Amino acid sequence: MSIIKEIAAAVETGKSKVVGGLVETALAEGIDPAVILNEGMIAAMGVVGEKFKNNEIFVPEMLIAARAMKKGVEILQPQLQKQGVEPIGKIILGTVAGDLHDIGKNLVGMMLEGAGFKVIDLGVDVPAEKFIETMKANPDCKIVALSALLTSTMPAITSTIKAIEDAGLRNTVLIMIGGAPVTQAFADEVGADGYSEDAASAAELAKKLFAQANK
Amino acid sequence: MTRKPYEPEKESKVVGTITCIPSPMAPDGKMPKYDLPATYRENFLSMLKGESPQWIPFYMTDVQMFNPRIIPDNIARGMVVDAGPMEGVKKGGLDMFGVDWEFIPLVGGSMVKPGNPKCPDICEWEKYITFPDLDAWDWEGASKLNAPYLSDDRLNDFTIFSGLFERLISFVDFEAAALALLDEEQQDAVHRLFDKLATFYDDYIGRIKKYFNVDIIQFHDDWGSQRAPFFSLDTCREMLVPYLKRIVDSCHKNGMFFHLHSCGKNEMLVPAMIEAGVDLWIPQPMNDIAFIIKNYNDKIVVAINPPKIEEEIDDAKARAICEDLVKSTLVVDKPRVFAFASSTIRTPSTMKVLKNLYPVSREIYSKL
Repeated sequence: MSIIKEIAAAVETGKSKVVGGLVETALAEGIDPAVILNEGMIAAMGVVGEKFKNNEIFVPEMLIAARAMKKGVEILQPQLQKQGVEPIGKIILGTVAGDLHDIGKNLVGMMLEGAGFKVIDLGVDVPAEKFIETMKANPDCKIVALSALLTSTMPAITSTIKAIEDAGLRNTVLIMIGGAPVTQAFADEVGADGYSEDAASAAELAKKLFAQANK
Repeated sequence: MTRKPYEPEKESKVVGTITCIPSPMAPDGKMPKYDLPATYRENFLSMLKGESPQWIPFYMTDVQMFNPRIIPDNIARGMVVDAGPMEGVKKGGLDMFGVDWEFIPLVGGSMVKPGNPKCPDICEWEKYITFPDLDAWDWEGASKLNAPYLSDDRLNDFTIFSGLFERLISFVDFEAAALALLDEEQQDAVHRLFDKLATFYDDYIGRIKKYFNVDIIQFHDDWGSQRAPFFSLDTCREMLVPYLKRIVDSCHKNGMFFHLHSCGKNEMLVPAMIEAGVDLWIPQPMNDIAFIIKNYNDKIVVAINPPKIEEEIDDAKARAICEDLVKSTLVVDKPRVFAFASSTIRTPSTMKVLKNLYPVSREIYSKL
């Protein structure tokens, strides 16, 4: 098995203690850090996402894989920086105002990182102003991801999007939304650019939206 | 219990009152007692035991929920249901383990604000977690206060909030809890915690039976999201079932049934519930309830839900939908089901359908 395949297998099965050593070996063999990241770790997280979507694996398996990837990235990071390898994009993520739920939002964050994005996680109960402030501080951010778990906090998605419009920033970002009560119909109604029903699909959607934003 | 012929006129006559815990539906703590062929309690127990219930029990009328305020969790979760005055009863605050819950009025329930867990490292939970002193609660006082309201007319259901997984989440936050179920370096600590919790719940359940006329323990442990369980059947079997079984056994040895309250699309975990000895479960409507009844009805009792009906319907239509619902349970010889109306489907028309449950199921069951 090639070292890249070994790294992918270790990430996929959550062998966090092994991944660092494998990444070091790969670097010592002269393999391009970007190849290690993309073909070893990001590809493995893609497989993890697909299995999660199909109910072949569940939250613990996904978390353990994300933790393993994080270990590998820690080793890889200095080399990536040296080579000027940047994350594929930046995403602002948060659960909207009035909603304290973070489970789905955190899983989405993990899968986005696993897909190669830099995630600015604003946490839970995030007021619209905080999203706007963060957008202004990160003008290179192309996507804002909003989460709501409650039907009663779904209106905060609407008001956050409205606030972004009112701040004159709507054209600078694509907005994706999700959460248990959220649907595609709701996304269409509130003018979101995308909706996904689970964390793995959110990562795929973000890649699509990012490609769209960079056209 | 043998099935009796259905006598609609007789059975719709009010012959007395049932004392119940005051609620918005019965503010004076009284509900009409009809001339039924069995009490609600007898009928529900008959169904649970796989005998011949006279009708399909409806959880919301046939069961008395009971969550006394002496249990700190009931206040923390904003779910006190007892005979004391409700004015001034706090919602939210510290639970029995000292975990702080925030009541969310919009939802009508509480949650632990994530990000600052009581136990930062599950491997060292013994340093952070102090088990409650059950002697510190006024069991005698609560018993005296509530006894008149826990009659034999209805089935009395006592909720234990925060079961095993939920309790673990409340200590360490969700992600750490989920990870700990699978991480070999943390699993031992989880086993130690669940072992001690099972011992604690055994004592707790014994006291519940000693002081209150309770038939069912409703054990609150959400295992899934709207699309899937949080964890696999294998993980559930390895990490939860051994301890859940001990808690179920605690109920059974005290002559009570075990009701697992577990939100989420958890049908994949039904085999684990059965292995633990769970008696009943209310699946949320996103589960394939027909499949569960067909395949597992001799081993676990589940609730049926009518469809969610948004539009207005007339009486005939409501009855027809109810007939379909009742007939859907006849895929097995001796259906062991009861009805529930999950909050996600509770529309006026859906409730109108359920008003037909007694006459329709009574009529159909009397001919079985």
